[in-house]
Amino acid sequence: MRNRDSSDAAATGVARSDPGHEHEAALIGRIQSGERELFYELIRPYERRVFVIAFTILRNEQDAEDAAQDAFLKAFKYLAQFRSESRFSTWLIQVAINEARLRQRKSHLEIMRPIVDQENEDGTYTPRDFTDWREIPSEALERKEIRERLVRALGSLAQKYREVFVLRDVEHMSIEDTALALGISAGAVKTRLLRARLMLRDLLSPGLEGIWTSHSQIPKGTKPWS
Amino acid sequence: MVVTCEDVWREISNYFEGDLDPALKLAMEEHFAQCPHCESIRDGMRNVIGLYGDKALFPLPAGFYPRLHDRLADQVEGKRISRRAWLVGVAVTGALAASVVFATALDRFAPQPRSEMSQPARRLPQRLVAIVDGGKMFHAPGCPFMHGKYHMVTPDEAVRKGYSPCTRCMSEALRSAGNVTPDFEGEETASEATAEK
Repeated sequence: MRNRDSSDAAATGVARSDPGHEHEAALIGRIQSGERELFYELIRPYERRVFVIAFTILRNEQDAEDAAQDAFLKAFKYLAQFRSESRFSTWLIQVAINEARLRQRKSHLEIMRPIVDQENEDGTYTPRDFTDWREIPSEALERKEIRERLVRALGSLAQKYREVFVLRDVEHMSIEDTALALGISAGAVKTRLLRARLMLRDLLSPGLEGIWTSHSQIPKGTKPWS
Repeated sequence: MVVTCEDVWREISNYFEGDLDPALKLAMEEHFAQCPHCESIRDGMRNVIGLYGDKALFPLPAGFYPRLHDRLADQVEGKRISRRAWLVGVAVTGALAASVVFATALDRFAPQPRSEMSQPARRLPQRLVAIVDGGKMFHAPGCPFMHGKYHMVTPDEAVRKGYSPCTRCMSEALRSAGNVTPDFEGEETASEATAEK
Protein backbone atom coordinates (compact mmCIF):
# COMPACT_ATOMS: atom_id res chain seq x y z
CA MET A 1 0.00 0.00 0.00
CA ARG A 2 2.90 2.30 0.76
CA ASN A 3 4.52 4.23 -2.01
CA ARG A 4 7.91 4.80 -0.51
CA ASP A 5 10.26 7.01 -2.44
CA SER A 6 13.45 5.45 -1.37
CA SER A 7 15.04 2.79 0.75
CA ASP A 8 17.96 3.27 3.15
CA ALA A 9 20.36 1.99 0.54
CA ALA A 10 18.94 4.30 -2.07
CA ALA A 11 19.21 7.18 0.36
CA THR A 12 22.88 6.42 0.78
CA GLY A 13 23.28 6.47 -2.96
CA VAL A 14 21.55 9.83 -3.11
CA ALA A 15 23.90 11.08 -0.44
CA ARG A 16 26.90 10.11 -2.53
CA SER A 17 25.67 11.96 -5.61
CA ASP A 18 24.45 15.01 -3.69
CA PRO A 19 26.55 18.09 -4.58
CA GLY A 20 26.37 19.24 -0.98
CA HIS A 21 27.64 15.87 0.13
CA GLU A 22 30.52 16.08 -2.33
CA HIS A 23 31.37 19.57 -1.11
CA GLU A 24 31.43 18.30 2.46
CA ALA A 25 33.58 15.34 1.49
CA ALA A 26 36.06 17.72 -0.14
CA LEU A 27 36.06 19.93 2.94
CA ILE A 28 36.68 16.96 5.19
CA GLY A 29 39.59 15.87 3.00
CA ARG A 30 41.17 19.32 3.23
CA ILE A 31 40.68 19.43 6.99
CA GLN A 32 42.36 16.07 7.35
CA SER A 33 45.20 17.36 5.18
CA GLY A 34 45.88 20.14 7.63
CA GLU A 35 43.49 22.99 6.77
CA ARG A 36 41.94 22.72 10.19
CA GLU A 37 40.21 26.10 10.13
CA LEU A 38 37.82 24.75 7.49
CA PHE A 39 36.15 22.80 10.26
CA TYR A 40 34.20 25.95 11.11
CA GLU A 41 32.80 26.04 7.59
CA LEU A 42 31.97 22.34 7.74
CA ILE A 43 29.89 22.59 10.91
CA ARG A 44 28.28 25.98 10.31
CA PRO A 45 25.06 24.60 8.74
CA TYR A 46 24.58 22.20 11.65
CA GLU A 47 25.39 24.30 14.70
CA ARG A 48 21.75 25.01 15.46
CA ARG A 49 20.66 21.46 14.72
CA VAL A 50 23.17 20.00 17.16
CA PHE A 51 22.03 22.38 19.89
CA VAL A 52 18.35 21.60 19.29
CA ILE A 53 18.79 17.84 19.45
CA ALA A 54 20.86 18.20 22.63
CA PHE A 55 18.18 20.45 24.09
CA THR A 56 15.51 17.93 23.14
CA ILE A 57 17.25 15.25 25.13
CA LEU A 58 18.46 17.30 28.09
CA ARG A 59 15.62 19.84 28.29
CA ASN A 60 18.02 22.39 29.74
CA GLU A 61 19.58 25.20 27.73
CA GLN A 62 22.93 25.34 29.53
CA ASP A 63 23.40 21.58 29.50
CA ALA A 64 22.41 21.50 25.85
CA GLU A 65 24.98 24.15 24.95
CA ASP A 66 27.71 22.30 26.84
CA ALA A 67 26.75 19.04 25.18
CA ALA A 68 26.72 20.71 21.77
CA GLN A 69 30.22 22.09 22.33
CA ASP A 70 31.46 18.68 23.44
CA ALA A 71 29.86 17.10 20.39
CA PHE A 72 31.65 19.47 18.01
CA LEU A 73 34.95 18.87 19.79
CA LYS A 74 34.51 15.12 19.49
CA ALA A 75 33.52 15.46 15.87
CA PHE A 76 36.75 17.33 15.21
CA LYS A 77 38.81 14.86 17.18
CA TYR A 78 37.36 11.81 15.49
CA LEU A 79 36.84 13.28 12.03
CA ALA A 80 39.35 10.79 10.65
CA GLN A 81 36.98 8.01 11.64
CA PHE A 82 34.10 9.47 9.62
CA ARG A 83 33.24 7.30 6.65
CA SER A 84 31.76 9.14 3.72
CA GLU A 85 29.20 6.40 3.04
CA SER A 86 26.81 8.42 5.20
CA ARG A 87 26.14 12.12 5.38
CA PHE A 88 28.36 14.15 7.64
CA SER A 89 25.26 15.74 9.16
CA THR A 90 23.88 12.33 10.13
CA TRP A 91 27.17 11.31 11.69
CA LEU A 92 27.40 14.62 13.53
CA ILE A 93 23.88 14.20 14.90
CA GLN A 94 24.80 10.72 16.08
CA VAL A 95 27.76 12.20 17.94
CA ALA A 96 25.51 14.88 19.45
CA ILE A 97 22.88 12.36 20.53
CA ASN A 98 25.50 10.18 22.17
CA GLU A 99 27.01 13.16 23.93
CA ALA A 100 23.65 14.37 25.21
CA ARG A 101 22.66 10.89 26.37
CA LEU A 102 25.99 10.51 28.14
CA ARG A 103 25.49 13.81 29.90
CA GLN A 104 21.94 12.77 30.73
CA ARG A 105 23.14 9.56 32.37
CA LYS A 106 25.76 11.43 34.36
CA SER A 107 23.20 13.86 35.71
CA HIS A 108 20.68 11.07 36.37
CA LEU A 109 18.07 12.86 34.35
CA GLU A 110 16.71 9.57 33.12
CA ILE A 111 14.97 8.97 36.43
CA MET A 112 12.79 12.00 35.72
CA ARG A 113 11.07 10.40 32.79
CA PRO A 114 7.65 11.70 31.89
CA ILE A 115 4.69 9.46 32.49
CA VAL A 116 4.15 8.88 28.79
CA ASP A 117 7.52 7.08 28.76
CA GLN A 118 5.80 4.12 30.26
CA GLU A 119 3.44 3.73 27.34
CA ASN A 120 3.75 0.84 24.99
CA GLU A 121 4.90 2.01 21.61
CA ASP A 122 3.04 -0.75 19.82
CA GLY A 123 -0.30 0.03 21.46
CA THR A 124 -2.92 1.90 19.49
CA TYR A 125 -3.36 5.57 20.25
CA THR A 126 -6.79 7.10 20.07
CA PRO A 127 -6.68 10.83 19.35
CA ARG A 128 -8.85 13.03 21.51
CA ASP A 129 -11.87 14.54 19.88
CA PHE A 130 -11.34 18.25 19.28
CA THR A 131 -13.27 19.59 16.40
CA ASP A 132 -12.24 23.22 16.48
CA TRP A 133 -8.67 22.96 15.24
CA ARG A 134 -7.98 25.42 12.54
CA GLU A 135 -4.78 26.62 11.02
CA ILE A 136 -2.57 28.59 13.39
CA PRO A 137 -0.24 31.05 11.62
CA SER A 138 3.46 30.99 12.35
CA GLU A 139 3.13 34.55 13.69
CA ALA A 140 1.74 32.92 16.80
CA LEU A 141 5.32 31.97 17.69
CA GLU A 142 6.10 35.63 18.28
CA ARG A 143 4.31 35.26 21.56
CA LYS A 144 6.55 33.91 24.26
CA GLU A 145 3.81 32.00 26.05
CA ILE A 146 2.98 30.15 22.85
CA ARG A 147 6.61 29.16 22.36
CA GLU A 148 6.94 28.06 25.95
CA ARG A 149 3.76 26.04 25.68
CA LEU A 150 5.04 24.26 22.59
CA VAL A 151 8.42 23.53 24.14
CA ARG A 152 6.80 22.31 27.34
CA ALA A 153 4.45 20.01 25.43
CA LEU A 154 7.36 18.54 23.50
CA GLY A 155 9.31 18.07 26.71
CA SER A 156 6.47 16.07 28.21
CA LEU A 157 6.80 13.36 25.57
CA ALA A 158 8.93 10.32 26.15
CA GLN A 159 12.48 10.76 24.92
CA LYS A 160 12.14 8.25 22.08
CA TYR A 161 9.26 10.30 20.68
CA ARG A 162 10.98 13.62 21.23
CA GLU A 163 14.11 12.51 19.40
CA VAL A 164 12.26 11.29 16.34
CA PHE A 165 9.90 14.25 16.23
CA VAL A 166 12.68 16.84 16.52
CA LEU A 167 14.88 15.27 13.87
CA ARG A 168 12.02 14.88 11.42
CA ASP A 169 9.62 17.75 12.08
CA VAL A 170 11.86 20.38 13.66
CA GLU A 171 15.10 19.75 11.79
CA HIS A 172 13.44 18.32 8.69
CA MET A 173 15.75 15.36 8.36
CA SER A 174 14.52 12.56 6.15
CA ILE A 175 12.98 9.42 7.60
CA GLU A 176 16.05 7.48 6.51
CA ASP A 177 18.55 9.90 8.01
CA THR A 178 16.53 10.04 11.22
CA ALA A 179 16.62 6.27 11.40
CA LEU A 180 20.37 6.24 10.78
CA ALA A 181 21.04 8.92 13.37
CA LEU A 182 19.03 7.13 16.03
CA GLY A 183 20.11 3.63 15.09
CA ILE A 184 16.56 2.39 14.57
CA SER A 185 14.58 1.20 11.57
CA ALA A 186 12.66 3.50 9.26
CA GLY A 187 9.49 1.70 10.32
CA ALA A 188 10.17 2.52 13.97
CA VAL A 189 10.73 6.14 13.01
CA LYS A 190 7.35 6.28 11.32
CA THR A 191 5.57 4.61 14.22
CA ARG A 192 7.11 6.98 16.77
CA LEU A 193 6.52 9.96 14.53
CA LEU A 194 2.82 9.15 14.26
CA ARG A 195 2.52 8.83 18.03
CA ALA A 196 4.49 11.98 18.69
CA ARG A 197 2.41 14.05 16.29
CA LEU A 198 -0.88 12.74 17.66
CA MET A 199 0.16 13.25 21.28
CA LEU A 200 1.35 16.79 20.60
CA ARG A 201 -1.85 17.57 18.80
CA ASP A 202 -3.79 16.39 21.84
CA LEU A 203 -1.51 18.16 24.33
CA LEU A 204 -1.70 21.46 22.54
CA SER A 205 -5.36 21.62 21.66
CA PRO A 206 -6.74 22.82 25.00
CA GLY A 207 -3.55 24.67 26.02
CA LEU A 208 -3.27 26.84 22.98
CA GLU A 209 -6.93 27.61 23.08
CA GLY A 210 -6.67 28.76 26.67
CA ILE A 211 -3.77 31.04 25.88
CA TRP A 212 -5.54 32.59 22.96
CA THR A 213 -8.71 33.39 24.82
CA SER A 214 -7.29 34.45 28.20
CA HIS A 215 -4.32 36.68 27.31
CA SER A 216 -5.31 38.42 24.14
CA GLN A 217 -7.51 41.38 23.45
CA ILE A 218 -9.57 39.26 21.11
CA PRO A 219 -13.13 38.63 22.26
CA LYS A 220 -13.67 35.28 23.89
CA GLY A 221 -14.68 32.55 21.54
CA THR A 222 -12.81 33.87 18.51
CA LYS A 223 -9.39 32.85 17.20
CA PRO A 224 -6.82 35.34 16.04
CA TRP A 225 -5.79 33.06 13.21
CA SER A 226 -9.30 32.60 11.84
CA MET B 1 -11.92 2.23 -1.35
CA VAL B 2 -13.53 2.92 1.99
CA VAL B 3 -11.47 3.68 5.10
CA THR B 4 -12.46 3.75 8.74
CA CYS B 5 -11.44 6.25 11.40
CA GLU B 6 -8.89 3.77 12.73
CA ASP B 7 -7.37 3.50 9.25
CA VAL B 8 -7.09 7.27 9.13
CA TRP B 9 -5.44 7.51 12.55
CA ARG B 10 -2.95 4.84 11.54
CA GLU B 11 -2.05 6.50 8.24
CA ILE B 12 -2.47 10.17 9.05
CA SER B 13 1.26 10.69 9.60
CA ASN B 14 2.10 9.04 6.29
CA TYR B 15 -0.53 11.26 4.71
CA PHE B 16 1.57 14.28 5.63
CA GLU B 17 4.74 12.50 4.56
CA GLY B 18 3.27 12.04 1.08
CA ASP B 19 3.95 8.39 1.63
CA LEU B 20 0.60 6.91 0.59
CA ASP B 21 -0.79 5.06 -2.32
CA PRO B 22 -2.91 7.53 -4.38
CA ALA B 23 -6.06 5.44 -3.92
CA LEU B 24 -5.64 5.46 -0.12
CA LYS B 25 -4.95 9.16 -0.11
CA LEU B 26 -8.12 9.83 -2.07
CA ALA B 27 -10.14 7.61 0.24
CA MET B 28 -8.80 9.46 3.29
CA GLU B 29 -9.70 12.82 1.80
CA GLU B 30 -13.22 11.60 1.14
CA HIS B 31 -13.34 10.45 4.77
CA PHE B 32 -12.19 13.86 6.05
CA ALA B 33 -15.09 15.47 4.22
CA GLN B 34 -17.55 13.30 6.11
CA CYS B 35 -15.89 12.91 9.55
CA PRO B 36 -15.32 16.09 11.67
CA HIS B 37 -13.23 14.17 14.23
CA CYS B 38 -10.73 12.90 11.67
CA GLU B 39 -10.78 16.28 9.96
CA SER B 40 -9.80 17.94 13.26
CA ILE B 41 -7.02 15.39 13.69
CA ARG B 42 -5.72 16.25 10.24
CA ASP B 43 -5.91 20.00 10.93
CA GLY B 44 -4.36 19.61 14.35
CA MET B 45 -1.48 17.56 13.03
CA ARG B 46 -0.92 20.07 10.25
CA ASN B 47 -0.64 22.80 12.88
CA VAL B 48 1.78 20.74 14.95
CA ILE B 49 4.03 20.11 11.98
CA GLY B 50 3.84 23.73 10.87
CA LEU B 51 4.46 25.30 14.27
CA TYR B 52 7.29 23.02 15.33
CA GLY B 53 8.89 23.27 11.92
CA ASP B 54 9.43 26.98 12.38
CA LYS B 55 13.00 27.78 13.39
CA ALA B 56 11.77 30.58 15.62
CA LEU B 57 10.63 27.99 18.13
CA PHE B 58 14.14 27.01 19.19
CA PRO B 59 16.30 30.12 19.09
CA LEU B 60 19.94 29.65 19.96
CA PRO B 61 21.03 31.17 23.29
CA ALA B 62 22.60 34.61 23.03
CA GLY B 63 26.34 34.34 22.57
CA PHE B 64 26.17 30.73 21.45
CA TYR B 65 28.43 31.18 18.42
CA PRO B 66 31.28 33.09 20.12
CA ARG B 67 31.32 30.66 23.01
CA LEU B 68 31.35 27.68 20.66
CA HIS B 69 34.17 29.09 18.56
CA ASP B 70 36.19 30.00 21.65
CA ARG B 71 35.80 26.43 22.85
CA LEU B 72 36.82 25.02 19.49
CA ALA B 73 39.72 27.39 18.93
CA ASP B 74 42.15 25.47 21.15
CA GLN B 75 41.65 22.27 19.19
CA VAL B 76 41.02 23.57 15.71
CA GLU B 77 43.50 26.39 15.53
CA GLY B 78 45.89 24.90 18.05
CA LYS B 79 47.37 28.24 18.93
CA ARG B 80 45.17 29.79 21.54
CA ILE B 81 46.05 29.13 25.14
CA SER B 82 44.02 29.37 28.28
CA ARG B 83 44.13 32.47 30.44
CA ARG B 84 45.87 30.55 33.22
CA ALA B 85 48.53 29.18 30.89
CA TRP B 86 48.97 32.65 29.48
CA LEU B 87 49.54 34.10 32.96
CA VAL B 88 52.03 31.36 33.86
CA GLY B 89 53.88 32.02 30.62
CA VAL B 90 54.06 35.72 31.33
CA ALA B 91 55.35 35.07 34.85
CA VAL B 92 58.07 32.68 33.65
CA THR B 93 59.14 35.07 30.90
CA GLY B 94 59.28 37.92 33.39
CA ALA B 95 61.40 35.91 35.80
CA LEU B 96 63.81 34.98 33.03
CA ALA B 97 64.07 38.58 31.89
CA ALA B 98 64.71 39.72 35.46
CA SER B 99 67.44 37.09 35.83
CA VAL B 100 69.15 38.27 32.67
CA VAL B 101 69.00 41.90 33.79
CA PHE B 102 70.37 40.99 37.22
CA ALA B 103 73.19 38.89 35.76
CA THR B 104 74.09 41.69 33.38
CA ALA B 105 74.21 44.15 36.26
CA LEU B 106 76.44 41.82 38.27
CA ASP B 107 78.70 41.30 35.30
CA ARG B 108 79.10 45.04 34.97
CA PHE B 109 80.69 45.15 38.41
CA ALA B 110 82.79 42.01 37.88
CA PRO B 111 86.50 42.48 37.09
CA GLN B 112 87.29 42.59 33.42
CA PRO B 113 90.22 40.46 32.29
CA ARG B 114 93.30 42.51 31.52
CA SER B 115 93.77 40.63 28.29
CA GLU B 116 90.89 39.96 25.93
CA MET B 117 92.88 37.12 24.41
CA SER B 118 93.43 35.23 27.63
CA GLN B 119 91.30 32.36 28.86
CA PRO B 120 89.64 32.46 32.27
CA ALA B 121 90.71 29.97 34.92
CA ARG B 122 88.57 26.89 35.12
CA ARG B 123 89.87 25.91 38.49
CA LEU B 124 92.13 28.03 40.66
CA PRO B 125 95.31 26.62 42.24
CA GLN B 126 95.26 26.18 45.95
CA ARG B 127 98.51 28.02 46.54
CA LEU B 128 99.71 31.54 46.10
CA VAL B 129 100.44 32.79 42.62
CA ALA B 130 102.77 35.44 41.35
CA ILE B 131 101.67 38.61 39.65
CA VAL B 132 103.59 41.51 38.20
CA ASP B 133 102.21 45.01 38.36
CA GLY B 134 101.13 45.98 34.89
CA GLY B 135 101.07 42.36 33.78
CA LYS B 136 98.09 40.38 32.48
CA MET B 137 98.66 36.88 33.83
CA PHE B 138 99.41 35.23 37.11
CA HIS B 139 102.20 32.71 37.22
CA ALA B 140 103.96 30.14 39.26
CA PRO B 141 107.13 31.58 40.69
CA GLY B 142 110.02 31.04 38.26
CA CYS B 143 107.89 31.01 35.10
CA PRO B 144 110.06 32.26 32.19
CA PHE B 145 107.04 34.14 30.85
CA MET B 146 107.05 36.38 33.88
CA HIS B 147 109.23 39.46 33.77
CA GLY B 148 109.91 42.04 36.40
CA LYS B 149 109.35 42.17 40.06
CA TYR B 150 106.54 40.06 41.20
CA HIS B 151 104.67 39.53 44.39
CA MET B 152 102.55 36.66 45.67
CA VAL B 153 98.83 36.87 46.08
CA THR B 154 96.01 34.40 46.44
CA PRO B 155 94.53 33.11 43.18
CA ASP B 156 91.16 34.69 44.05
CA GLU B 157 92.75 38.08 44.44
CA ALA B 158 94.65 37.67 41.19
CA VAL B 159 91.44 36.88 39.32
CA ARG B 160 89.60 39.71 41.04
CA LYS B 161 92.30 42.08 39.77
CA GLY B 162 91.80 40.82 36.24
CA TYR B 163 94.78 38.46 35.91
CA SER B 164 94.35 35.30 33.87
CA PRO B 165 96.25 32.01 34.23
CA CYS B 166 99.53 31.80 32.38
CA THR B 167 99.20 29.31 29.55
CA ARG B 168 102.67 27.97 30.26
CA CYS B 169 102.90 27.56 34.00
CA MET B 170 99.23 27.51 34.91
CA SER B 171 98.03 25.15 32.18
CA GLU B 172 96.50 22.95 34.81
CA ALA B 173 94.26 25.80 35.87
CA LEU B 174 93.05 26.11 32.31
CA ARG B 175 92.46 22.43 31.74
CA SER B 176 90.96 20.52 34.54
CA ALA B 177 90.26 20.20 38.20
CA GLY B 178 92.87 19.31 40.74
CA ASN B 179 95.79 20.92 42.37
CA VAL B 180 97.96 23.02 40.19
CA THR B 181 101.58 22.22 40.41
CA PRO B 182 103.67 25.13 39.23
CA ASP B 183 106.26 24.16 36.68
CA PHE B 184 108.83 26.56 37.87
CA GLU B 185 110.20 27.86 41.09
CA GLY B 186 111.32 31.46 41.28
CA GLU B 187 112.28 34.19 43.55
CA GLU B 188 109.79 35.56 45.96
CA THR B 189 109.61 38.67 47.97
CA ALA B 190 110.54 38.06 51.56
CA SER B 191 107.16 38.69 53.08
CA GLU B 192 105.09 36.89 50.49
CA ALA B 193 107.43 33.91 50.38
CA THR B 194 106.92 33.50 54.05
CA ALA B 195 103.19 33.51 53.56
CA GLU B 196 103.47 30.86 50.84
CA LYS B 197 105.49 28.56 53.06
